[in-house]
Amino acid sequence: MRLHLNLLSFAIVSLVLLSSMSSVMASQDSLGPKITIQPSSGEKCILPPEEMRRQHPDLLKHDRIATLREGVRAKADGGKLDGSLKQCVNCHAIKDDSNKYVRIDNDQHFCVSCHKYAAVSIDCFQCHRDIPEGSGDFHALSNHKGVNYNAVVPGTYNLTVQDMANIVPEGYSDDK
Amino acid sequence: MTSNIDNEKQPEITSAEVSSSRRNFVFGSIAAAGVTIAPGVMLYQTANARSLSDFSLKEAASAKVRWGMLVDTTKQVDWNKCVEACNKEHGLNNETHSRDDQKTQYIRVVDVKNKGTGHSMSLPVMCQHCESAPCVDVCPTGASMKRADGIVLVDRHRCIGCRYCMMACPYKARSFVHEVLSDQTENTPRGKGCVESCNMCVNRIDNGLEPACVEASNEAIVFGDLNDPESKIAKMLKEFGGKQIRADLKLNPSVYYKGI
Repeated sequence: MRLHLNLLSFAIVSLVLLSSMSSVMASQDSLGPKITIQPSSGEKCILPPEEMRRQHPDLLKHDRIATLREGVRAKADGGKLDGSLKQCVNCHAIKDDSNKYVRIDNDQHFCVSCHKYAAVSIDCFQCHRDIPEGSGDFHALSNHKGVNYNAVVPGTYNLTVQDMANIVPEGYSDDK
Repeated sequence: MTSNIDNEKQPEITSAEVSSSRRNFVFGSIAAAGVTIAPGVMLYQTANARSLSDFSLKEAASAKVRWGMLVDTTKQVDWNKCVEACNKEHGLNNETHSRDDQKTQYIRVVDVKNKGTGHSMSLPVMCQHCESAPCVDVCPTGASMKRADGIVLVDRHRCIGCRYCMMACPYKARSFVHEVLSDQTENTPRGKGCVESCNMCVNRIDNGLEPACVEASNEAIVFGDLNDPESKIAKMLKEFGGKQIRADLKLNPSVYYKGI
């Protein structure tokens, strides 16, 4: 009799568990939660997406040694794209509803969206800039030739966040 | 996408497997380097000065070159203008919690006065890019490094923030970042826990531009290749001479001063 009771309670508990599981399964896709990867502004990356997903850490590590320690700043893939993190950010920067770039603390940020999903932390942006420089369009930001400093006037320069966001590469002048 | 990541066996990425476009990229760079080196050599033989534009982006920093600066302290220049250009180029002075003496400086303006004669002057002191740099010698991780073309800089990917190099530097040229930073410039990544100093604007040099302070100095700082006898800086040094600060230490800095 006691055995019967035990069996009965076990059956009830397992039934309840099963039903709750099936309701979870029904609410999600069978593969678990999904992420949405935002489309980027660039036409073509240096490798197809599936290869980039696997290989981007190795590519970045290769380039950081070549760039910093050896001084090679070659353009990858036929000279159109910079093989740098800067180039990644410039193409893959995401704008929010108010048309501003989202920072690294935002889940919508291109790198964060996937890295958070995969639970892999990224340190890159503790030092590297997380959004493109300037507030203009994606590729019109910089000619990669830098600022012209002939026009810097002493005493007029105070660095603010706004200032950093608005660095204009060509013909920059502090006196308006 | 999830199933790909979780279930498939991750292919090991070896150098052989890194895709064809990467291989083209690498070999393409080598080929281009060969082409661009040749005219450089020819120019050298016909005794023309090599200019910054002769150096290609694809070319690795060359040991034939030694970048240097000649600072003319006799010219009446507001050196703060150079500091401002430097700050702007590298996005410095954006610390919010640090004390003034903790904030990063790539260039310090040093005022000196001879008490005997009463003569006073000021000069900009930045990383002197020594040939035998003490900061490179003492670095335990290889983060503090000298590029082939003589530029001394910090590889922040390897820096552990121990600050040995700050102790070793006789010029007090290095700073340590004490706080979390944001809004860095895209050309100068910098962040908490790393030592940093003047890198002679490597990003600008590699792009064929002069360093920011040189451009802002109204030609009071001359930048060029010390190894090239036809360059402006070498000619000026030959004609007027130039002093290295603390030359007695025999570190052979790349930064020379005129009028000290």
